[in-house]
Amino acid sequence: MDYLGQLLANGLVLGAIYALAAVAFTLVYGVVRLVNFAFGELFMLGAFLTASLMLPEVRLIGMVVPMPGFSLPVAAAGAILLTGALGVLVDRIAYRPLRNAPRLAPLITSIAVSVVLQSLAQTVWGAEELRFPEFHLATLPPVVLFDSIYLSVMDLVVMATALAAMLGLSAFIARSSLGRAMRASAEDQMAATLVGIPVNRVVAAAFAIGSGFAALAGLLYAQTYGFAHSSMGFLPGLKALTAAVLGGIGSIPGAALGGLILGLVEALGSGYLPNGTAWKDAISFVLLVGLLYLRPQGLLGKPELNSAGRGSLLGGASEFGAGWLRAAFAKVDGGLARAAAAGPRAALALLAVAILVGLLVPSDYWLRILTMVVIYGMLASGLNVIVGFAGLLDLGFVAFWAVGSYLTSILFVLVLKDQFGVAPADIWWLLYLNLPLAGLLAAGFAVILGTPTLRLRGDYLAIMTLGFGEIVRVVAINWMDLTNGPMGIRGIPAPNLFGIALGSPRAQFFFALALAVLVVFAIARLVRSYVGRAWVAIREDEEAAEAMGVPTARYKLYAYAASGFVGGFVGVFYAHTQQYISPLNFSLFENILLLMLVVLGGLGTFIGPFIGALIWIVFLQLALDLPFVQAYPETRFALLGIVLIVLMVFRPQGLAASARVALTMPGTRPAKAKEAA
Amino acid sequence: MSAPSPAPLLEARAITVRFGGLEAVGNLDMAIARNAIHGLIGPNGAGKTTVLNVLTGFISPTEGQLVFDGAEIGGLGVNGFARRGLARTFQNIRLFGAMTVLESVLVGAHQRFSANALSLVFARRSARAAERAMIARAYELLEFVGLGADVADRVATTLSYGHQRRVEIARALISSPKLLLLDEPLAGMNAVEKAEIADLVRQVRAQGIAVLLIEHDMQVVRRLCDHLTVLEYGRKLADGPPEQVLADPAVQAAYLGRAR
Ligand SMILES: Nc1ncnc2c1ncn2[C@@H]1O[C@H](COP(=O)(O)OP(=O)(O)O)[C@@H](O)[C@H]1O
Ligand SMILES: [Mg+2]
Repeated sequence: MDYLGQLLANGLVLGAIYALAAVAFTLVYGVVRLVNFAFGELFMLGAFLTASLMLPEVRLIGMVVPMPGFSLPVAAAGAILLTGALGVLVDRIAYRPLRNAPRLAPLITSIAVSVVLQSLAQTVWGAEELRFPEFHLATLPPVVLFDSIYLSVMDLVVMATALAAMLGLSAFIARSSLGRAMRASAEDQMAATLVGIPVNRVVAAAFAIGSGFAALAGLLYAQTYGFAHSSMGFLPGLKALTAAVLGGIGSIPGAALGGLILGLVEALGSGYLPNGTAWKDAISFVLLVGLLYLRPQGLLGKPELNSAGRGSLLGGASEFGAGWLRAAFAKVDGGLARAAAAGPRAALALLAVAILVGLLVPSDYWLRILTMVVIYGMLASGLNVIVGFAGLLDLGFVAFWAVGSYLTSILFVLVLKDQFGVAPADIWWLLYLNLPLAGLLAAGFAVILGTPTLRLRGDYLAIMTLGFGEIVRVVAINWMDLTNGPMGIRGIPAPNLFGIALGSPRAQFFFALALAVLVVFAIARLVRSYVGRAWVAIREDEEAAEAMGVPTARYKLYAYAASGFVGGFVGVFYAHTQQYISPLNFSLFENILLLMLVVLGGLGTFIGPFIGALIWIVFLQLALDLPFVQAYPETRFALLGIVLIVLMVFRPQGLAASARVALTMPGTRPAKAKEAA
Repeated sequence: MSAPSPAPLLEARAITVRFGGLEAVGNLDMAIARNAIHGLIGPNGAGKTTVLNVLTGFISPTEGQLVFDGAEIGGLGVNGFARRGLARTFQNIRLFGAMTVLESVLVGAHQRFSANALSLVFARRSARAAERAMIARAYELLEFVGLGADVADRVATTLSYGHQRRVEIARALISSPKLLLLDEPLAGMNAVEKAEIADLVRQVRAQGIAVLLIEHDMQVVRRLCDHLTVLEYGRKLADGPPEQVLADPAVQAAYLGRAR
């Protein structure tokens, strides 16, 4: 009973923090129908700003900067104001131009914003934890309830603050005219616009308040755990989003309820389940996934929020941007479109260039980098099937990649070598068996994961797939017997063909290239058929596709399967080139990175993923020659994020908007038609 | 009143559709004969599109039953309706963005393809033959709806409004449906185009495909349709041959009411 009481008390503290952050998601979603993934990072900034304002001095970008050394309440107020202002600024720059764009554009933008903010925070405050200064209330002895439940004074302060903030917000929304306008917008945006509510002001207010709440939640969280860190916002951000969805996104009482439930479930789960603390993150995500499956509108929400506007993925031409910028984009676009139109001949030419490069590049270092380009290009191609062709934003793709990598590593190292003492060189052929096997396994996995998502669209689909990806990662970390946990698996043999080791960087490059030819060829053949036409039809207008007799649910699953197959297939090779894998290789960030590469190069094209991978990975290396980047390597990720935001705002259709791929089988057009074309 | 001659192609029995408190269609009985051009008319907001949505599975009626070609249909999912032989166009054109005319039309032929993934990846002869046959059929249909082969490779959404309508009709016809449902296909067209489309509808019927046509132009309706159903406020106001229905004072009142 005492144990239960203590768990409940801990759960309430955690729940109060989740609830505060959930309000941020819910408030903004209610007004602009945007899942602002960046709230996790605003949460983190709230913690950093508060800690910095409380200290006498901090190191920022390596320089010691004097700070006012405020007490916690003053510092917190300052941090909340600053974060609120930042939230409004982000909205103004990154989201407002996309108000009428299709859903995917703002969603990708918000992911990019979070990458930018996190990388910048790491640049400014460093990769190390910043210890949260002690507040004098925290030094008081804990309060003991019922003789056995210990609550620190700060825990009580956290709960009281959360309660006060929630009540204050409720009063604001009920009483003030701005609050009423907000509620009206949340209930019915069309009607709100019609009755003349100043939408931009309401949205700015929602961002200001939401960001303030996120900052408050972040600083309370950091205060509770004693430190601030640049990646601290990620998991709590996802959990707050879970809480918001649980309560019914858009509903403020729902966010409070969802936060509390999630906090309690997590506390009880980690207390009572075997090895519960290790699995507690999985608990929230299982809850999230189950919830979206059974009741996507959440506890207090309305069902209509799962609808997504139809139309193309990222929208037509943007009306923003200077003439020269548009002209530059048009030029790139034209070039890529011509390249795409040139078809197989261009592909062969490109392959010839790749082979030449592979033969002529002298440095092993650059060969390794080019191998990574090909691997990431292949992975991005797999993601492109589901996102670019079928139009389903999948944030759980890394799971399929992980399945392939783990399958081959477990078989080669943990089973055959460690259990049976078989030398990898003796069973070199197993790699070639594992490639299709892992593909099939990952495809099956993808179908299983895809099935419950079939009813979901847009944001909810993204959140659910993200939940799946995280579950797989948590399993990889915690299922020690199967995966070696966080230690990872070492000593995965390099590829080998008939006893000839293919360990040299040049051999690996050509191996990767051969696989890439297979992958692109297979994807292209599927896309250039009735299957690809069904996928694109689903992407463009799901209902109309159904009306044309396309069983859209089945074809979505085919897209998942194809995408999963590529993930698993490439994952096998990835493990053998890296020779070491751990759960860190398969984080959500990798998924986001792949998504960015596809968007950068052109969604729904065959070459786009490789262009994106080439630009990114080569840039990643070249930038390392700059001294500033050497000191602050994360600035590269910030730059990638900024490029993506710019792309979304000024060029939502991607670099290669006109480079559409043909969707009929090659060589099946009547001769007459070819002349006309 | 309507003669219960040979079994109708499609029979809607006591269909009611409610959206929250609003009854968009109330207790509607309707039968579409084989080989008919059946007009569905009524003032704006009368529930015509809703009926078409029910007949194509887009909306499950709150109450009622659908019998198509001798079998009850319902709970099939929209694609199931399409597979049974119900093909439609949309009041607001819904072509697939980023697809060429040829590709858009081929999507309508989806159910005719059956090659598995391996056949596609290896471009087996059978898969190529099926593709070739459907492409040839698509070209025939483009000609049939009055579009030249030269538009086949244009992105469909860049065509003129009238041409987009024709692409939509070709996309619906390539599945060889038994019933073609057209939601205001003449809207926004000039007299010449209207006559062309009306002619096209007759040719469709001549191929043994029944047509359900939603239309406002009474001149066209009178000349084109064999049978009319008139809706007002979701209820059936009249039903029968055009001459008789259009002479009905209640129908005239409904249309005068609309003009008010
Ligand atoms: N999905 C829907 N939700 C709520 N009301 C609808 C919906 N679809 C149609 N309605 C309403 O049903 C009535 C009939 O609409 P509709 O069938 O489009 O009429 P028509 O095609 O005859 O002009 C209208 O009042 C319309 O507002
Ligand atoms: Mg209508």
